[in-house]
Amino acid sequence: MYTRYMLGKGGKRKFDEHEDGLEGKIVSPSDGPSKVSYTLQRQTIFNISLMKLYNHRPLTEPSLQKTVLINNMLRRIQEELKQEGSLRPAFPASAPPAAAAAAADPLGSSSREAPPAFSQPAPAPCELGGAAALEACLTPASLLEDDDPDTFCTSSPAAPARLAPPALLPPEKDSFSSALDEIEELCPTSTSTEAAEADGPKGDSSSGGPGAPQRPEGLQEGGRPEDPKLMDSLPGNFEITASTGFLTDLTLDDILFADIDTSMYDFDPCTSASGTASKMSPVSADDLLKTLAPYSSQPVAPSQPFKMDLTELDHIMEVLVGS
Amino acid sequence: MVLQPAERHCGDWSHRRLGPWCSPTGSPAPLSCETGCGEGTWILVCRLLVPTQVSLLSMEEDIDTRKINNSFLRDHSYATEADIISTVEFNHTGELLATGDKGGRVVIFQREQESKNQVHRRGEYNVYSTFQSHEPEFDYLKSLEIEEKINKIRWLPQQNAAYFLLSTNDKTVKLWKVSERDKRPEGYNLKDEEGRLRDPATITTLRVPVLRPMDLMVEATPRRVFANAHTYHINSISVNSDYETYMSADDLRINLWNFEITNQSFNIVDIKPANMEELTEVITAAEFHPHHCNTFVYSSSKGTIRLCDMRAPALCDRHTKFFEEPEDPSNRSFFSEIISSISDVKFSHSGRYIMTRDYLTVKVWDLNMENRPIETYQVHDYLRSKLCSLYENDCIFDKFECVWNGSDSVIMTGSYNNFFRMFDRNTKRDVTLEASRENSKPRAILKPRKVCVGGKRRKDEISVDSLDFSKKILHTAWHPSENIIAVAATNNLYIFQDKVN
Repeated sequence: MYTRYMLGKGGKRKFDEHEDGLEGKIVSPSDGPSKVSYTLQRQTIFNISLMKLYNHRPLTEPSLQKTVLINNMLRRIQEELKQEGSLRPAFPASAPPAAAAAAADPLGSSSREAPPAFSQPAPAPCELGGAAALEACLTPASLLEDDDPDTFCTSSPAAPARLAPPALLPPEKDSFSSALDEIEELCPTSTSTEAAEADGPKGDSSSGGPGAPQRPEGLQEGGRPEDPKLMDSLPGNFEITASTGFLTDLTLDDILFADIDTSMYDFDPCTSASGTASKMSPVSADDLLKTLAPYSSQPVAPSQPFKMDLTELDHIMEVLVGS
Repeated sequence: MVLQPAERHCGDWSHRRLGPWCSPTGSPAPLSCETGCGEGTWILVCRLLVPTQVSLLSMEEDIDTRKINNSFLRDHSYATEADIISTVEFNHTGELLATGDKGGRVVIFQREQESKNQVHRRGEYNVYSTFQSHEPEFDYLKSLEIEEKINKIRWLPQQNAAYFLLSTNDKTVKLWKVSERDKRPEGYNLKDEEGRLRDPATITTLRVPVLRPMDLMVEATPRRVFANAHTYHINSISVNSDYETYMSADDLRINLWNFEITNQSFNIVDIKPANMEELTEVITAAEFHPHHCNTFVYSSSKGTIRLCDMRAPALCDRHTKFFEEPEDPSNRSFFSEIISSISDVKFSHSGRYIMTRDYLTVKVWDLNMENRPIETYQVHDYLRSKLCSLYENDCIFDKFECVWNGSDSVIMTGSYNNFFRMFDRNTKRDVTLEASRENSKPRAILKPRKVCVGGKRRKDEISVDSLDFSKKILHTAWHPSENIIAVAATNNLYIFQDKVN
């Protein structure tokens, strides 16, 4: 019995059809299929809210009350997603929409919340689910070689101990370096310094560490993550996650950053194939307002947006140039 | 005694079996109020159209709404967006009824005087005065238009022969004086009858000008303009019981004005955060207490009401009382906050209660109890399952108003599909009526409407899915002492009265 969806929404545990699900009563996220409709509805409302805020070009000043209410809605959804990310829910593999929604869950939230996440018990099925898939694609190369099911499939008690040091590192860096590793795997090239770091110490590596407990479900059940398996799981999941993510991104980027040079996004074929999970996270309105990072979808900590972007840029440049 | 059609109908018991408005079961349930009406059946008095059309028709002896139906009704092109009524308000005696529209016009209707010959005509309202209150403006700093739509009209109590009212758009409040002129001076020496100047050399005699009666002319003049005090959109104005001051409220601030002073106002409430990114709550409505000139309330977008006392600190950021109902966990949804946003707040005439309207309910609060309302009425709970669609098409942001009747025993508010609802607080009965052109025969009795939620739809019921969400009744008004109501449906103003009157 999974008790990880402690969001306490209340309401009837009723399975609504997809079409009705949007209109049906809000259901408790505790049950599987209802969770799907719940997250689907939440995502829909999130998108609608963004459209309302950014599509509107009135001649007169928009109503402040409406703007504030929509903003509050977006913030609340974002908070919820953050909480869900920190609670480390594992979704059933059989529910792709759930996977999509979960993957749409900002990676940043899980990475940002890395320390608390580690402390959460993850009574886990190492099933491949959305978040799982997400994590999977970000597993550093070092971990892929690490053939230790216990490391990844056990619950956290082991993890925090190992992770204490890594927890100090900025999580984004780790997720980014892991993403880099993925890129490198797909586009073999000269290694960057960061990749080298990531490749270094295995389970205990500072960069690999957070990766492990962060993605216990990232690996197949009890199994060693084999590359092909991983690769196979990637595209499928990425299609789903990418579509959801891109939907959000399209909304934001097309409207908000229409003037920004989008040549950066030409890197996408490479990054998306390798599944830069960062691309998939829906951006909160607040993030948009605060950061002007071209990689707006990257859920960076407010304190170091530019630093991240520069390094990211550098590495991607190197990757591309190298290939 | 000549029986008017209405009275004749009253004596006929057959109508009782049709089911008076209050009860779906058909048993008569009189409207309990002290103004002397017993039956509780509403009839249409008149339906008033856009000013241009009404002024043409008012010249006729007999305003037959049937004629209006035939000549203008069918042609929707006559109604433009500027004609959409945006506010309705009776004056303190109920003799005058003012409406404001999206085009910045104010139209004042006057009640037909009682006359022996046409007793049944009493209760009808005719156009009294029309004037352009606000013009569209352009804010050059923000490159945005300032709408001329009249958001609120509030009457001042009558102190002399002239009538005074406040009208406001998003940014500017104006005090208008409406006065009658039925005499004019004649017999000038230096001007002839047409007003042309006479050559002084031709004047041989002098005469004293005299006042002679003329056709009644009603003129409206702007006496004060209270401008440049609001950064955000004004949503409410309220005249204080001292009749010397009034307040205007926008999304974040409330200002107190003296009628005589237009170049300054006191800011009495300011909820603007230092960092606008932290803004999560706005002011949605405000009103002065009807008797205590130091007390006022304002409602917020989070479903809270604050009562403030101006005798305390000058800036009433700290409330004296805070009214909020704890959230019902079983009804929680994504839209909980949005539907809890209060769109209107009204003191009862007694001053003891306040009524608030949020998206799905009307609540009555006792000023002495802050933790929950004493009464909650469901206006259209069947919409609860449609909130997502209503959010998408913006209907969830519609601001419905609510009104008390003269004795505070009945409350009324609008809904969709041109429906409006009345709740009797004493008998706990409620009714849904429709303001539609189909029922526009004069003196037609309004039939109660019902929305069917479940599967089986009875003959006269309407299913939730066939409701027209573009036909919304946001503005209604109730005569201060009689059972006469004014209901604004888009560009139409319906006046209904209780049958036994």
